[in-house]
Amino acid sequence: MIIPVRCFTCGKLIGDRWEEFARRIRTGENASDILDSLGIKRYCCRRMILSNVEIIDEILRFYEEAEKRREARNMY
Amino acid sequence: MKIEVLEKDETNLRLSIKEADVPLMNALRRIALAEVPSMAIDEVVMIENSSILQDEMIAHRLGLTPLKTDLDGYNLPEECKCQSEFGCSLCRVTLTMDADSTEGTRTVYSGELVSENPQIIPVSDKVPLLKLAKGQKLKLEAYARLGKGKNHAKWQPVSVCAYKYFPKIELLSEQCKDCAKCVDICPKKVLAMKENKVEVRDLLACNLCMDCVDACPQKPSAIKVEWEKDAFIMNIESSGALPPERIIQEATKILDKQLKEFEEQLKVGVK
Repeated sequence: MIIPVRCFTCGKLIGDRWEEFARRIRTGENASDILDSLGIKRYCCRRMILSNVEIIDEILRFYEEAEKRREARNMY
Repeated sequence: MKIEVLEKDETNLRLSIKEADVPLMNALRRIALAEVPSMAIDEVVMIENSSILQDEMIAHRLGLTPLKTDLDGYNLPEECKCQSEFGCSLCRVTLTMDADSTEGTRTVYSGELVSENPQIIPVSDKVPLLKLAKGQKLKLEAYARLGKGKNHAKWQPVSVCAYKYFPKIELLSEQCKDCAKCVDICPKKVLAMKENKVEVRDLLACNLCMDCVDACPQKPSAIKVEWEKDAFIMNIESSGALPPERIIQEATKILDKQLKEFEEQLKVGVK
């Protein structure tokens, strides 16, 4: 759904590194290098970031569309 | 006992501890994990939540966000003089959040939590807590209190607290044919080739897996991996709530307190 705050296994805080990872992976950087430079060493924490899919973005689209329709209705 | 700091930064501490024993090291490790208190959000009052995440999910995410902890200024709720269900200013911190989205979808970060005590704030203000679409609102009041790792993992001040034996690697140079098989197989890259000779590059990284001993074609093996019976390497990685050296100091204090209590009870019991 959305990036977990902490690693499921060891409890390290990883949520705050997600956005930088997502931004840098879009520029085509190597995932392993990004994780190393973010200081995520253990494979339990690395999989948290590597395997995350932000499904919340997909769900939010429905609400964005609904809002747009509501606005369009109010205009007339 | 001799303690030497091998590595230290804001969240990590690596110690070499000599002339100690396993029971002591393990007691300290277990106390650091389960008994050292830290601050975390425990109760959340939702005033308004029109986001797409349920109240419970937001509360859970808030709870897991590590908070900077002031151990001297606050009491554990069960030890506080107030004995109140709701807590008092000595055992509770109120944090509030009022977020809405007026222009498009946006992410709400932990930095938007407003604390009544500017010392008790999230460790990182960049943790994404939820996302709001245009027109959605979130308003809440959260109560943070001290707690122990044995009650919930959110109160654990460490993410890693582990120790291992201090390694001892011996290269028997007269038997070694410098085939470099041990260098290639080592998962931690402890060994290296220097001028066609095997040498120990990073002794502390060795995790005593013995792969190098098995890989050696010489019989008996030309490399000997052992460990010191009374020396350890301890690794403490803090969640950011407390500095790692403070965590281990608190662990020793708690162990001391528990032993004193045990002694007193024993005296009462055998009288």
